[in-house]
Amino acid sequence: MYKALVCCRAGMGSSMLLKIKADQVIRENGYPIATEHGNLDSLIGFNGDLVITMDDLSTELAGKVPYALGIRNIVDKEEMKQKLETYLASMNQ
Amino acid sequence: MLRELTDTNLMKLGIQATDWQDAIRQAAQPLVDQSRIRESYVEDIIQGVRDYGPYIVLTKNVALPHARPEAGALRDAIGIATLKTPVYFGNKDNDPVKYLFCLSATDDEKHLDGLAQLAQLLENRDFLDELDHASDPAEIIAYLDKLEQ
Repeated sequence: MYKALVCCRAGMGSSMLLKIKADQVIRENGYPIATEHGNLDSLIGFNGDLVITMDDLSTELAGKVPYALGIRNIVDKEEMKQKLETYLASMNQ
Repeated sequence: MLRELTDTNLMKLGIQATDWQDAIRQAAQPLVDQSRIRESYVEDIIQGVRDYGPYIVLTKNVALPHARPEAGALRDAIGIATLKTPVYFGNKDNDPVKYLFCLSATDDEKHLDGLAQLAQLLENRDFLDELDHASDPAEIIAYLDKLEQ
């Protein structure tokens, strides 16, 4: 089971919406990913496997976390699905 | 649910905004007037976008302006605002923004059902069409009430 942190700057609005959408897609497809949510401060000491955030924040995080997954359109389940699958495929190599 | 977090006095339809800062300020003003957030919360939203980019623009034409609770959230609420002329936030995927849902969250639990319902509503255009056609905030409340029946 992979551990994902879903975060935005405030750790309130967009991250919660993002977590709701991520959890839907993870459940529907049976991905081995557990999510928790937080803000940028939660990244300090983060020991999980990937960070799910909005696209513009994810570029800032690249290199600082094991894997940063950036979402452009929060209600686009297909985008979420593709990006989670890309992540899972990268872990299986 | 969304209905419990919003009300006609938290809405503003057909705002004429000069730029994204102005759009956020005008969309948030009803929440300031109704003591749901402090002025400092609005400034924190704007500073956040300046520092981190337009991360509050979440899907096509939609922004969810919000900041940390400690920036000045007083009581949980979701404001609903539409712009007469959409404005650019600098988000290449989802610009221009026409709909703003200003969120006041005092913790990370109480507003969850409302946000989940908003996410659901944003998946199709029906709700946004409703916002386009509504001439009075009461019509939007009527729409949300109907959803709960």
